[in-house]
Amino acid sequence: MKAFTNQNARTLDEAVALAQQALRDGRSVSFVGGGTDLLQLMKDKVVNRPGSGDPDVLVNLKTVEGLDEVTSSGQVVTIGGLTTLEALVEHPVIRDRLTVLAEAAESVATPQIRHTGTLAGNVVQRPWCWYYRNGFPCYKAGGNRCFSIAGENQLHAIFGGGPSYIVHPSDLAPALVALDATFRVVGPEGERTLSGPDFFVLPSQDAEHENVLADDEVLASVALPAPGDGVRSAYHKIMDREAWTHALVSAAVVLDMDGDVCREARIVLGGVAPVPWRVPGAEALLAGQRVTPELAREVGAAAVAGARPLSKNAYKIPLTRGVVERTVLALATSA
Amino acid sequence: MSSPQTSQQVGPMDTVGHDVPRIDAYERVTGRATYTGDVRLPGMLYARVLRSPHPHARIRSIDTSRAEALPGVRAVVTHETHELIYSSGSIAGGRQYSDAAKDITRNVRYMFDNPVRFVGQPVAAVAAVNRHVAEEALQLIEIDYEELPFVIDPEEALEPGAPPIWPEGNLALDFRNEPRPSGGTSGDPEAGFAAADQVFEDRYTTAFVQDAQMEPRSALAQWEGDKVTIYTPTQGISNCRHDNARDLGLEDHQVQIICKYMGGGFGDKNGSYYFDLIAASLAKEADAPVLLELTRKDDWLGTHGRWHTVQDLKVGVAQDGTVTAIGLRAYSGMGPYLRRSGGISGIDAYACLNVERVIYPVHTNRMVSGNFRAPSDPQGYFAIQSMMDDIAYKVGMDPVDFALKNMRRPTEEVEFTNYFLEECIAQGRELFDWESRWRPEPGSDPGPIKRGAGMAFMMFRSGVGPSSAILRVNADERYTLFVGVTDIGPGAKTTMAMIAAEELGVPLSQVEVVWGDTDRCPYSVGESGSRTTTQTGYAVVQAALDLKGQIAEKGMPRGDDVLIASATPTPSTQGKRRMCFGAHFVEVEADVQLGHVRITKYVAVHESGRILNPLPARDQIRGAAIQGIGQALHEDLLYDPRNGHPLTAGYYGARHVTHMDVPEIEVTFIQTDDGFGPYGAKTVGEAGIILGPAAVANAIFNTIGVRMKDLPITRERILEALA
Ligand SMILES: Cc1cc2nc3c(=O)[nH]c(=O)nc-3n(C[C@H](O)[C@H](O)[C@H](O)COP(=O)(O)OP(=O)(O)OC[C@H]3O[C@@H](n4cnc5c(N)ncnc54)[C@H](O)[C@@H]3O)c2cc1C
Repeated sequence: MKAFTNQNARTLDEAVALAQQALRDGRSVSFVGGGTDLLQLMKDKVVNRPGSGDPDVLVNLKTVEGLDEVTSSGQVVTIGGLTTLEALVEHPVIRDRLTVLAEAAESVATPQIRHTGTLAGNVVQRPWCWYYRNGFPCYKAGGNRCFSIAGENQLHAIFGGGPSYIVHPSDLAPALVALDATFRVVGPEGERTLSGPDFFVLPSQDAEHENVLADDEVLASVALPAPGDGVRSAYHKIMDREAWTHALVSAAVVLDMDGDVCREARIVLGGVAPVPWRVPGAEALLAGQRVTPELAREVGAAAVAGARPLSKNAYKIPLTRGVVERTVLALATSA
Repeated sequence: MSSPQTSQQVGPMDTVGHDVPRIDAYERVTGRATYTGDVRLPGMLYARVLRSPHPHARIRSIDTSRAEALPGVRAVVTHETHELIYSSGSIAGGRQYSDAAKDITRNVRYMFDNPVRFVGQPVAAVAAVNRHVAEEALQLIEIDYEELPFVIDPEEALEPGAPPIWPEGNLALDFRNEPRPSGGTSGDPEAGFAAADQVFEDRYTTAFVQDAQMEPRSALAQWEGDKVTIYTPTQGISNCRHDNARDLGLEDHQVQIICKYMGGGFGDKNGSYYFDLIAASLAKEADAPVLLELTRKDDWLGTHGRWHTVQDLKVGVAQDGTVTAIGLRAYSGMGPYLRRSGGISGIDAYACLNVERVIYPVHTNRMVSGNFRAPSDPQGYFAIQSMMDDIAYKVGMDPVDFALKNMRRPTEEVEFTNYFLEECIAQGRELFDWESRWRPEPGSDPGPIKRGAGMAFMMFRSGVGPSSAILRVNADERYTLFVGVTDIGPGAKTTMAMIAAEELGVPLSQVEVVWGDTDRCPYSVGESGSRTTTQTGYAVVQAALDLKGQIAEKGMPRGDDVLIASATPTPSTQGKRRMCFGAHFVEVEADVQLGHVRITKYVAVHESGRILNPLPARDQIRGAAIQGIGQALHEDLLYDPRNGHPLTAGYYGARHVTHMDVPEIEVTFIQTDDGFGPYGAKTVGEAGIILGPAAVANAIFNTIGVRMKDLPITRERILEALA
């Protein structure tokens, strides 16, 4: 690993200032939360911020006070970016009211990583595409190719791909989008608040990045509207082993139920697209309906409408269909 | 049918046969056990290895001047500065530790080679005052590569016009240094196929899997004059010493190998490794001790794993279900250097004598293949026992009955020291409750979640042979046992002490073991081939007998006197086959909508002679079965065909099973004594890995009704097969 400077930031503003200073000095910089992902990238000499090499400067966010708090004030639950995944799993409000987020956090990696990894780090982690992670000069590393197209694309996107076909790696991201989260970003110009669709970017908009964050911008927190009484949610993740790996396919499902009738549904897929992938066509089938096995099957089918598999990932279509069908049905019929 | 060669079943003795925790368990769990990477010597330097980023390339030039100029760098070695042959492992076909074969081969493997022939091949190494400087120095080495055409697929590698990895072509040279397939013909295959009522043909493939031991490899070398001491994780200190001595141009006595504790063996470390040579070269160059450490990825790509295979099988069957002939034409992917045989086992477990085998060990520009726990067995058993299982259904037989009808049994021509395969199958069938778990109609369960069962059976050589032990007693009646074993996991050190205690008739606490150091211990065969217990253990029995005799004659020593006995027995079974036997029965649950497979029951019945220490023996079978499950369902070192780069190196990429994926493995031993080995002990360590892939695959067929012919049987393949 290359030698680097670690700088502990005490406030968000200081973190941003430290990053700006490093950039002005012509040094590459990365923010670091738990470091569970960043350290591995650095050891493997994989580019974290496209356009710059291994970081010369790490701006440590763990020393920023108050960035790991969950606050629930009436209509909004705010979660600090430095909140660990384990804290999400254990937080009673998240467990009971925002179940999909707790389940998504619990599905991540291993207990060690969940105790160290943070919400922001999880959402901002770089893709786990095997070309990118093995140092290929692909779009995600600042290059100008996607090696998966004519290569090994078993794990790649069936929706929203092109010119890069990575899938978004974060388990929290689909859950957050399904819960209609907003993302608070702090940078040199102050702060901005973005909806999910505005925060995450498709490769067709920006092939190098998965979100709008600039090199000197921090994901400070997320805010979630407190769900109403009939709302229930679940996260269903398919992996090729029982733990310690990312989703092949996942579904974050939030249903607003009135008895056995679904008022409104939000369904967001993971593991199938370069961003958390919402399926409005499938959601619409549920609005105002009683959820029967037949309807769940139709919803599953609608979720994969328009999928465009590559040469080796067509299996993700029946898999996604099955996951959506089962999750919707189980959730709607759970007491 | 009870065999005349069946011997009695046996029970525990005084010490042997009881569950005994490892005598070094405390050191291990408290972190006091000194593994190679824990050793620190005064003035020690750290070394890192630069590896090829290309699957095949000629090094036009290599410039190390900037690296050498970096403060803190103490030595840099490359193929230009050090032309050392690294000859551990049979660089010519399957003849382990044969110096003769190493002398004749044309395809010489150097410590650093030019051209480089796989991604991950060592190119240069640096020793520096700390790890960071060493890693930084690697970045400063400038290499001008001329990229050469490469080939990844073994079948393609044999096609005309394929890029030649060696001037001789891509078919590996055999022990006569000739490019020929292995195999051969027995009986009369042509007549056998002619006599068949039906002939079945199919292709099965298996993937390259890494043994993935926990301890990343390292080597620490220190010179004193013209003698070098190397601390290194090896399964055989004696063979490791001899290999290193030969390659460094030294006499055996000029090399001391120390390996006390080791984080997993799994094969192909019963000898030296090239990093021993690199550490020794750097240490000499820098005139200081050098610790060379492999990162996890280096360890993954820069060592070896199980050879992947393509197997075309042809089986003739008579009306009554008797197999009349078997044909195998196969390719084994060996990587660019022939480290081991590339053989494919399994057919010998059948009685049919009309067999034709043609196996091509093929060079490719993938990483090197070598021996991994039962080197040629899981891949071979997967293919032949899937094939036979499939035929059983096609001829309308229960696969267990088909096995009982066609498996090898003792004959007048082929005698066994004893034979317990039938008992293994019978016990497994009963313990597993085959009748209730097996579906006569495959895939017949209603609904998307189905269950079914499969089985497989095996026999595996359990040879006897030479090894040595020295035993000493002093006036305090303390016994010291000197054995050249390392403890790679199965608990050899404990077992050796138990054998001595048993034979001497003393408590285990009176026996101390000196192990893992060639300067202090006599020759041991090394912990590969599952033979430490049978061979070195037998030497311990003989040494103990000798010492008992001396004590009877002279009485216990007094004062500062000691009595010493040594033994190097060379037992023989007089031409009889000595085998261990086993049968695994597996139930799986498959979700055909989501392609998910879960193992719901796993019964392993083994006959491995007398079980000297049942506690670790059961764990050996469990651990091995788990590796078999990983090979069946998960692991594959995937290469990008256009770039020749590996994509799935490491624990994350290769998708090894986690504890959460593993079912309870129910282990039963049938204990016997055939009069050989120490108290009748046979092979354990490798036996358990052989049947996982076949039994799991057969269970999946019974569950989903579709035959999965390629390993690993991933979710993706299941969904594609059912689409
Ligand atoms: C073996 C393994 C398995 C894994 N499996 C899963 C899985 O199943 N599901 C899953 O979702 N994830 C998985 N991960 C990823 C894991 O969740 C992340 O490593 C972890 O959540 C990242 O959090 P961190 O705080 O350690 O991030 P860091 O490593 O500190 O940072 C990760 C990235 O985010 C940036 N960053 C960090 N914080 C901020 C911030 N506040 N603002 C802006 N940028 C920031 C960093 O610069 C870096 O690019 C796995 C990781 C490993 C190593």
